[in-house]
Amino acid sequence: MKKRRWKKTLEWYSFIAVSLLTVLILVYYPMLTTIRYSMFDVSVMGYGEHFTGLKNYQLLIGQSSFIKALGNTFIIAALGLCTIPAGFLLAVLINGIGKGKLQGFFRVGFYLPNIITGVSVVMILQVVFKANDGLFNNFLSFLLHQDISIGWLSDAAYAKAGATLIYLWSNLGYSMLINLASLQGIPEEIYDAASIDGAGALARCLYITIPNMRSCFVFLFTTGMISGLARFTDLFILGGNNASGVPAGSLQTIMMYIYQYSFEKLEYGISSAGAMVLFGVTFIFTMISTALTGFFKDEK
Amino acid sequence: MKAVKRRKWITVVILLIILVILLTPLWWAVVLSFDRTSTMALPDFSLFPHEVSLFNYEMAAKTIDLIQYYKNTVLITVVNTVISVFTALLCGYAFAKGSFPGKKLWYIILLSVMMLPFEARMIPLYLQYKSWGLLNTYWPLILGNFAYVYGIFFARSNIAAIPDSLRESALMDGAGEWKVFFRIILPLAKPVISTLAILQIIANWNSYLWPLVVIRSQAKQVISVGVSLFNASQTDIYYGPRMAVAVLSAVPLVILFLFLQKYIVQSIALSGVKQ
Repeated sequence: MKKRRWKKTLEWYSFIAVSLLTVLILVYYPMLTTIRYSMFDVSVMGYGEHFTGLKNYQLLIGQSSFIKALGNTFIIAALGLCTIPAGFLLAVLINGIGKGKLQGFFRVGFYLPNIITGVSVVMILQVVFKANDGLFNNFLSFLLHQDISIGWLSDAAYAKAGATLIYLWSNLGYSMLINLASLQGIPEEIYDAASIDGAGALARCLYITIPNMRSCFVFLFTTGMISGLARFTDLFILGGNNASGVPAGSLQTIMMYIYQYSFEKLEYGISSAGAMVLFGVTFIFTMISTALTGFFKDEK
Repeated sequence: MKAVKRRKWITVVILLIILVILLTPLWWAVVLSFDRTSTMALPDFSLFPHEVSLFNYEMAAKTIDLIQYYKNTVLITVVNTVISVFTALLCGYAFAKGSFPGKKLWYIILLSVMMLPFEARMIPLYLQYKSWGLLNTYWPLILGNFAYVYGIFFARSNIAAIPDSLRESALMDGAGEWKVFFRIILPLAKPVISTLAILQIIANWNSYLWPLVVIRSQAKQVISVGVSLFNASQTDIYYGPRMAVAVLSAVPLVILFLFLQKYIVQSIALSGVKQ
């Protein structure tokens, strides 16, 4: 009997062994190493790394470029949250036309930009947001009847707005899709009952729709912040494969700072401390999301 | 009733206007890529090329080896998708139906990976692969896929919904768990497989930071990094060729999307995974 149970256990472990080994070697071990490196002087690898306590963190906080990158990251991530209300409004409109072919068409049409490779998006929008003769400025000039030539991506004062427009363009469809799914999950009866009680469209939206979609908003907020704080690819390509955050450092995020210190300056200790800071702020949002959505609740 | 119908059509018109504004950049990029006049200067906006030609594509073909990038990316995407989805199903099955010591602990250890962003462990991971002498090979891009954590979570909850009766009768007949997995679970898990495969294909096609870090030679590079290197090396004025490359690198996923739009939109809405 005992032998058979052993055999069964072994059989089950044969299903999960590869994945377990993978996370131990490629996730947990490097994660612990990041913590270790962040407290070591590892500027020259393999030659007398020594423990320095919190010195890397002190260096980091004393550096104006890191503080600037930290601020940039929060501002850019927060600006990116505009996709949530925009996606909500879009979802309300699309939901308003009723289920059917037309709704399916809009769902797919608005999602299309999300599917396009990040590099292509940046290359295309770089031309659209050009200061002179860019499509967007031409459009604005046409609407406002005056000549507009804002360097959305080349002028440091506007670059964060430009980067947010890129983000909005490529993530609107996703936000719409999640909002729409949540919107359609609200039971029709609640609306009917409210209508009978004489509630107008605005009241129904404020007192039924929005409270019922709270968990959807929380989900989009936390996942938006988590991915926004680690934003790298499009801003890196925008600067011409440069981690300094062109124009004039206005688009350098923590992740770009980490890249710069790891692969350009080879100061692994400092970049590991930066990675720990990024991990710390991200973790706060992960905890909020786990607490509110109850990710681990479903197994008992 | 008439008022309701009229409101509906007004909404449709508003949505169409927003959609047209949103998709105009894409159309313009395609137009520019076929426009001979956009090679050295940015022409005025037009719905169709001023002077139709394939010149920009020819010029792009001379400066960037897109076919090599395509080959590399397709290879990595296929290998990674197969590995990650298959191992996710294996784990999903064990955690949904198995009973063995340590089950709950291992499950939590696996799921907790979702709380540890890749960026936080990238530097030691890079140095680890460097010391193994595996930089500039595809191993760093592939090995991590043996633990597709979101896939495990998704597969587990879906496989748990498969009734036990089928499995039990097979076990009675003396089949082992592996046989049950291949004969019963795998055929029933087709919707799970397609959802996870779609998510993985998109994620692999778009992955950028990690290949940028571990692949150094141009000939081995994936399409996203390869194209961005091309973009960085071009001067500002070559609009046409740049748009041609942007269009070519976007085409495979757009085609995939147009064919599988229903499933893709469903997969995203269902899983909430952002690409």
